[in-house]
Amino acid sequence: MNLPMFFASILRTLRRNPWRGLLMMAGVAVGIASLTILTSIGESTRRETMKRFKNMLGTFDTVLIRPGSSKNRGMVSLTNVEPSLKFEDANAIAAELPEIRQVAEVQNAFDIDVKYRDRNSTPSIFGVSSNWLELRGDEVAQGAFFSEDDVRSLARVAVLGSDAQKQLFPGEDPVGKSIEIGNVPFVVRGVMVPRGAGPAGGSLDNLIFIPVTTASKRLFNRDFLTMLIAQLKDPTQGQVAVDRIASLLRSRHHIAPGALDDFNLSNPRAVMDQVTAMGSTIEKLLRIVAALATGIGGIVIMSITLIGVSERRKEIGVRRAVGASRTAILAQFLLEAVLLALGGGVTGVAIGVGGTQIVSQFQHLPFLIQPGAMLVAITLSIALGLLFGVYPALKAAGTNPIDALRE
Amino acid sequence: MIRLQNVSRTYSRDSVPVTALRDASFEIQQGDFVVIRGASGSGKSTLLNILGCLDLPSSGTYMLDGADMSCRGDAELSRIRSQKIGFVFQSFNLLPRTTAIENVELPMIYSGQRLSRVRAAAALERVGLAARQGHFATELSGGEQQRVAIARGLINDPALILADEPTGNLDQNSGAEVMSILHDLNDEGRTIVLVTHDDAVAAHARRALILRDGVVEEAEVTR
Repeated sequence: MNLPMFFASILRTLRRNPWRGLLMMAGVAVGIASLTILTSIGESTRRETMKRFKNMLGTFDTVLIRPGSSKNRGMVSLTNVEPSLKFEDANAIAAELPEIRQVAEVQNAFDIDVKYRDRNSTPSIFGVSSNWLELRGDEVAQGAFFSEDDVRSLARVAVLGSDAQKQLFPGEDPVGKSIEIGNVPFVVRGVMVPRGAGPAGGSLDNLIFIPVTTASKRLFNRDFLTMLIAQLKDPTQGQVAVDRIASLLRSRHHIAPGALDDFNLSNPRAVMDQVTAMGSTIEKLLRIVAALATGIGGIVIMSITLIGVSERRKEIGVRRAVGASRTAILAQFLLEAVLLALGGGVTGVAIGVGGTQIVSQFQHLPFLIQPGAMLVAITLSIALGLLFGVYPALKAAGTNPIDALRE
Repeated sequence: MIRLQNVSRTYSRDSVPVTALRDASFEIQQGDFVVIRGASGSGKSTLLNILGCLDLPSSGTYMLDGADMSCRGDAELSRIRSQKIGFVFQSFNLLPRTTAIENVELPMIYSGQRLSRVRAAAALERVGLAARQGHFATELSGGEQQRVAIARGLINDPALILADEPTGNLDQNSGAEVMSILHDLNDEGRTIVLVTHDDAVAAHARRALILRDGVVEEAEVTR
């Protein structure tokens, strides 16, 4: 067989029957486009969710320890927090558990009045130990974070989250300025780099950091903590560390066997895995829907090719008479179907990329092109052409040339 | 060149066996010009299809150039059609939405010939249609379409040309043109087997076979 001529002849057939081809391509294109959009949006949603959780949770190789049993978890504020976590607990965990590198202490509260001259704001106040930056992966944009000495000396220094800075010091350098937090004067030491949005989409930057000791003794007058962050030496040992911390705290808090914990522990990595798994279930469902749409595209290919076979019986007869074998006829019809499916696939990917761009703009998601997914889509469309083209092609190959020529 | 020995062909039509060709035995020499005549339904097309390797005998042997065609597979029969046989049909059977030259090139896809365009152009020139290369079948007259079909039949340089009522759909002038081309091809040494009802067409042949209810008999050429 003369392959270049064979291909040329097939392309000519496709070109001279544009409507048939467009119809067939459209079916596949719709399926592939939806598959591309769903996959890309699914992936960028997953990444965005992960990013937001990461914004909230900070680094992953930690165990978060909060007061109260896991039954009544929720918003922590100074008014409803269970006073079970103490500074001594933090020291004990850091000193006694070999799995833990260091522990950060946190005492935070919401809706505290903050003033700078005539401007007011009500950010969250985070009393934290000086190792916060290291444990959370946060960064300082301007000035500096407070030091171990500041913590030890109950210094009245504050580091502003970027939202708090915008509200209190619009267009003004806050470093060195004096603010009042709950009527106690503080000096601004620095400004944080924005963390971005949290899982619910809200800002994580409307806050002010002060030394945890200052918060405890000078501001809130409480000796209990709202959170401890224990940093793991080995990130894979999260569950072991959770168990060790739990038994240490139970013994320190004299909790009888069988009684509920008065604290709760979470491992960000485990939370992340849960979130990711949840996302992928939805993604799987959507993909099944898109795969169905693509399958319908395949059925369109099959039915139109079948119509083509019965319309082109005479052509098949002529080709057979001038020397085409059954295999050559099979190859011709199969290749036509594959090329159209491929055309539909490429169109679908193009539409899908455009659609993804539009959807990610509306959903405020990062626009993300995955070459791998495109390759899968293209391969899928070829497979679709083969799968749904084979039956009509067999039918074409089985056409009796004598009958076909007599018609 | 062609030798049939006790060739029969039986169809099953609505599960009733129909014998279209009964015990045919004859030879055709290379370069002969044979006309096959007979009433419709007498088995002319069946015979032509067997000669053209489109159909297989139910029994008997068909030798083409010394090789037995009776028991070949599809791929081999296709190759023989492509190399040795040129078909000309009553209804021309040009492909729609395909230009004259593309129609002429068609057999070369399957024979694997090179320089297709040049050869196809030469074949069209040969039938007097050099100026019609890019015309679609629907833009050509019946006579022109049949000449394109002859060029298509010729393109692989076959030794045997099988024509089934080639002038049946043509006016007298076009028919005469077609017959004169077939004559030329015969003069080049190609074997022509022609099925026709038309006495004037039959008069071109050197030899006549007549089919009556599937039985082949030798007949006189009437001039």
